[in-house]
Amino acid sequence: MRKSLTMLLSLMFVTSALLTGCGGNNNNAAATEEPATTNEAAATNAAATEEPVSAEPFEMTVRHTQVGADKQKRLAILEDVVGKVQEEVPGLTFKLDGVDSDVNRKEKLRGEMAAGNPPEIFDLFGSPDSKIYAKEGKLLDLTPILDELGIKDKFSNLDPFTYEGKIYGLPIGGSGEGFFYNKEYYDSKGWKAPATFAELEQQLADIKADGKVPLAGASKAGWVPLMLANHLWSRYAGPDVTAKFATGEAKWNDPNVVKGFAKYKEWVDKGYFKKGELGFEYAEYTTQFTSGEAILMYDGTWKSSVFKAGQSGEGLIGKVGFFNIPAVDGGVGDQTALMRDVNNGYGFSASAGEDERQLAAVKSFIKNMFNEEMQLRGLVEDGVLPAMKIDQAVLTENITDDLMSEIVAVLNSSQSSFPAFDSLVQADVTTEISNIQIQSLIGGQTTPEKMGDALQKIQEEANAAVE
Amino acid sequence: MNKALRNPLVFILFVIPALVLFIMFFIYPIFSSLYYSFTSWNGVSDTVKYAGLDNFKKALGDERFWVSVKNNGWFILFSVCIQVPLIVFFSLLIANVKKLKGLYKTAVFMPSIMSTAVIGILWGFIYEPNIGLFNKVLGLVGIEPVYWLSDERFAMLSILITNAWQWTGFYIVMVLAAILSIPGELDEAAAIDGATGFQRATRITLPLIVPIISVVIMLSIAGAMKAADIVIVMTKGGPAGSTEVMATYMIKYAITNFKYGYGNTIAVLIFMFTLVVTALYQLLFARRNERIEY
Amino acid sequence: MPRLKKSLPHVALLGYLIVVLFPFLFVLFSSVKKDNNAIALNPFGIPKTFEFSNYVEAWVNAKISTYFFNSLYISILSSVVSILLASMFAFAVTRMRQGKWNKILFSLVLIGMLIPNNALMLPIYTIVRKLHILNTHWALIIPYIANAIPFTIIILAAFMRSLPSEIEEAAVMDGLKAPGIFARIIVPLTVPAMVTVFIVNFLGNWNEFLLANYFLSNDELRTLPVGMVQFRDQYQMNYAQMSAGIVYSVVPVIVIYAILQEKIIEGVTAGSVKG
Repeated sequence: MRKSLTMLLSLMFVTSALLTGCGGNNNNAAATEEPATTNEAAATNAAATEEPVSAEPFEMTVRHTQVGADKQKRLAILEDVVGKVQEEVPGLTFKLDGVDSDVNRKEKLRGEMAAGNPPEIFDLFGSPDSKIYAKEGKLLDLTPILDELGIKDKFSNLDPFTYEGKIYGLPIGGSGEGFFYNKEYYDSKGWKAPATFAELEQQLADIKADGKVPLAGASKAGWVPLMLANHLWSRYAGPDVTAKFATGEAKWNDPNVVKGFAKYKEWVDKGYFKKGELGFEYAEYTTQFTSGEAILMYDGTWKSSVFKAGQSGEGLIGKVGFFNIPAVDGGVGDQTALMRDVNNGYGFSASAGEDERQLAAVKSFIKNMFNEEMQLRGLVEDGVLPAMKIDQAVLTENITDDLMSEIVAVLNSSQSSFPAFDSLVQADVTTEISNIQIQSLIGGQTTPEKMGDALQKIQEEANAAVE
Repeated sequence: MNKALRNPLVFILFVIPALVLFIMFFIYPIFSSLYYSFTSWNGVSDTVKYAGLDNFKKALGDERFWVSVKNNGWFILFSVCIQVPLIVFFSLLIANVKKLKGLYKTAVFMPSIMSTAVIGILWGFIYEPNIGLFNKVLGLVGIEPVYWLSDERFAMLSILITNAWQWTGFYIVMVLAAILSIPGELDEAAAIDGATGFQRATRITLPLIVPIISVVIMLSIAGAMKAADIVIVMTKGGPAGSTEVMATYMIKYAITNFKYGYGNTIAVLIFMFTLVVTALYQLLFARRNERIEY
Repeated sequence: MPRLKKSLPHVALLGYLIVVLFPFLFVLFSSVKKDNNAIALNPFGIPKTFEFSNYVEAWVNAKISTYFFNSLYISILSSVVSILLASMFAFAVTRMRQGKWNKILFSLVLIGMLIPNNALMLPIYTIVRKLHILNTHWALIIPYIANAIPFTIIILAAFMRSLPSEIEEAAVMDGLKAPGIFARIIVPLTVPAMVTVFIVNFLGNWNEFLLANYFLSNDELRTLPVGMVQFRDQYQMNYAQMSAGIVYSVVPVIVIYAILQEKIIEGVTAGSVKG
């Protein structure tokens, strides 16, 4: 009996040692092996005709996040671009693969990157995501392509996608965040968009007293409530405070940051958000507003696309306004600062650069996607702010939509901007605040002070872990 | 004469395919997890750094991890303390009715054949605060709507109820099979001696089905330790991480947070906890019940 | 009095039956209601008007047919291959005379039953990716085959052990070699056990969620459970259409269950009772 047990154990050990051995080798070789296999694939592809570039059919995948009814327009734009690229690159067939944005960013793409098989073209967040991937050599360096196409200087800001001086992704559009409000309701009360913070809070209280829901809420995914919370703590503690967390210059438990949390908590406690909102998905956020149940909704400018014919907010066309958070008492720094991001766009897998035809397709994709025409289409049809520099005159000429002009006016009247927290702090901190802390705050399981302390602890761990 | 069945080459050929898969997908992963659990690999990088016991220290010192351990514990407690008595009760009832036995058996088993994912969706619908079944029923008796899945006080309970709904019938059918295989003479003899139905159930049937109940408990523990999909589908671990279980905690760290090494540490801990709980159960309870035969 | 006593168990059991069945009815009714409002106003009752358009839209929006056939073929293929490989293994360790090796290999496989397989997801992910099959159906088929092997071997081995040894003695006399004995004698005799195991494996694969969720990212490749969750996340707000989607995913399983219920119950409980 004993003998067989030893035998069994040693058998297990030997086999697994063998396997781990192989695994280890593969691992070390991964960097070199990967291009090799893609080369092989390319070689077998091309071998048939003995020509590097041919009309031999090949397939590339585009991972996009334009899923669901509200993103039809965006999908249409992408489909047009894809169509053009397919015409330009003989033999190419694109496969469109739509995944929910948050799922793609936090699960799918991360898993695929680890596995070394991301799609050739994919929806990518600039910071911190693209930097992590770029550091590991998973992303295609776009600098030479941009030079060749001469569009490098056309983008208003490529910082989030830049790592060690090279560009690894391109923002598809920009966004700004603020309050959408129901103008019809405001008019019926004789109100205007609030000019002071006190006025805003008075309005919230009045809406509540009126039996309506003042603010849309859907906090099942933490990033939704965090848009507003982020803007609030940046009002109290300064627009640049979030950027200083990762460098250690500022702390999450700074009294001014905590004031921001406390204000959010105060609004929760006063019942300004819909009850039970912790269990709602983002889709419901919009529904609360479009159905007229909630009067205000803090969201990104991308949401303006909902208020167009044929979309879910059709009934509110012309009845929606947009305003920035007014200055708070004792706030630090620029009180007109807007939360603005150019953090989302497209990236390309490093392996696409190994294959000449795939590289040609990538070039064509960039050429057709990132140009003035598409940027304007994005703006006009879909409410996405341009990520590329566009002449003011051309802009005004193209904006016919009231809401859009109002948004542009708000953007122009703000003197500075800051990016959202998730592009400034480490993934750990993002997970902690969005999966745990903000929901605990809303659910009443933590206090603003405790939340600040808990976040600071994670922040310090993350800062210390930097290699 | 049995040369044909002694040919080692043929033996090897017969055994190898299954064995290779088994080693690849059971044995190797254990060692691989063990290896990465001592590293700080981010899952993307080409370099793997040794981190010693750091990951284990971090996990055991992380409040969130213990919340997830506790939730696995709730799964076990709920099934052992609430489900098992119900299972025994309903099995005895079904065994003793004469009519409709087949119908009961078929119907109670039905939830167990369905995908946990689909059941999670279906129950999400029942828990929906505004139009869901539960709140409508509560509304009839004048109770305010309960936010089942978004209120930290109820979210875990809601998941446990759904889980129980799915699996109770499965175990009932198992216990029922054991009851029905008890030789009828025992029961008849007792009936002749004047024992009531209740007495017969508790004094004769129950002791005889103790081994199968023990199996049910073992399976519940095993099921509880690997629970993940029901949580992912119903709450994604929320609100505020209150329904996280060990497996979802592991996935979150390994994939969402770029902490593959740490995720594997959790895998190793899950493995160890499962062994400990199983061993404890065997030592404390299963021993003395082992030798009941009929 | 005796009558009351007799009906009491039935009252309790019918109560339980309602708890089990009502969620299904709720979803069935909701699936033909017009919208959320109609569900809210009349949550329990039979709908007044029947809106079958929910079914049409769910079929189109949710691509149920694609998911359905993906699940079907993956589940069948994996289950069949597991049974083939496991029966070979079980035959070798139960009927071939290799002394201690029989025991060693069998105990090794028994260990597999103790392993909480969700905990192994990360390394399996690594293996699948090293095989370069991530994001193909093989990424599910191979792990599914492997996953079912310990259980299948244990059940089939138990069955094969119970076959009298005279059988192959006679076969050897007739000049059959080991593969012949396996294919012509043992396999036909083991078919009943195989059917049982097949059903268990099939249902396990059909319902599997974790691997399917993380190993596949292409919409066309998705299996039914993952597809349904995806559908739920996208059309969260339309409960009527969602209910129709649930009905689609549940009905095939119920039909299979209705036809094979005896076999299924026997099969699913067999493993645990014997083990």
